[in-house]
Amino acid sequence: MSTDSSVAVIALSGELDVGRADEVARALELPSRTTPVLLDLSDVSYADSTVISALFHFSEKATAANTRVAVLIVKPQLIRLLEYAGLGEAFPVFRERSAALTYLLQNG
Amino acid sequence: MGDVAELRVTRTAARANVRPMRHALRSFLEALELAPDTIDDVLTAVGEALANAVEHAYVDGAAGSVELYARAEGDAGLEIDVRDSGTYIERSARVGRGFGLRIARAIARNVEIDRSRGTRVRLSFDVIQRRRHIRAVK
Repeated sequence: MSTDSSVAVIALSGELDVGRADEVARALELPSRTTPVLLDLSDVSYADSTVISALFHFSEKATAANTRVAVLIVKPQLIRLLEYAGLGEAFPVFRERSAALTYLLQNG
Repeated sequence: MGDVAELRVTRTAARANVRPMRHALRSFLEALELAPDTIDDVLTAVGEALANAVEHAYVDGAAGSVELYARAEGDAGLEIDVRDSGTYIERSARVGRGFGLRIARAIARNVEIDRSRGTRVRLSFDVIQRRRHIRAVK
């Protein structure tokens, strides 16, 4: 995780399947401060339901901690994976980094 | 009826082996000249079946094997079997398992599960033969 002035960034890359489940679970930790989190999945080339479920749990923790989260996804495979799982509207998903940051830094 | 293309890959049931099995299937689907989005969708559906299989395939506590068998035949479509040698036990839930079958069913035309000897998941995908190109349709 890297943190600039006001947004924590968690970036994952490559093929995220069941073989990397433990790594994904470890990566998706909330920052200790209540800092908005950009979950950068733009370099993820493939994902399976391991990631979906980890995202789901991460999102729940973030909501409980009043932490705003944006998910950056570029690859269509991952966008469609969310839709197939019935979670197309479950997370604030952005295809552009600038739009995700704007969402995270807006008031309220 | 067109030519029949087949792929058979068997590996030890281990989470790390899902990836090479998926890569073998990708090469097979690329050789069929399926559309890139179709290939991604098939890999997504079969990836879920493989992820479940590596966790089922245990016999008396030892890792068994997982077999991937794919068959494409002209207008007859694409059929993919994921078979494990284990006895079906609800092991400690892998993160993501709850979504796996839902995802596979959203993509494949049909998902059939047979637990009579180990577990065999058969995923069927419709394909349309277009000259040299085969495209899956929902």
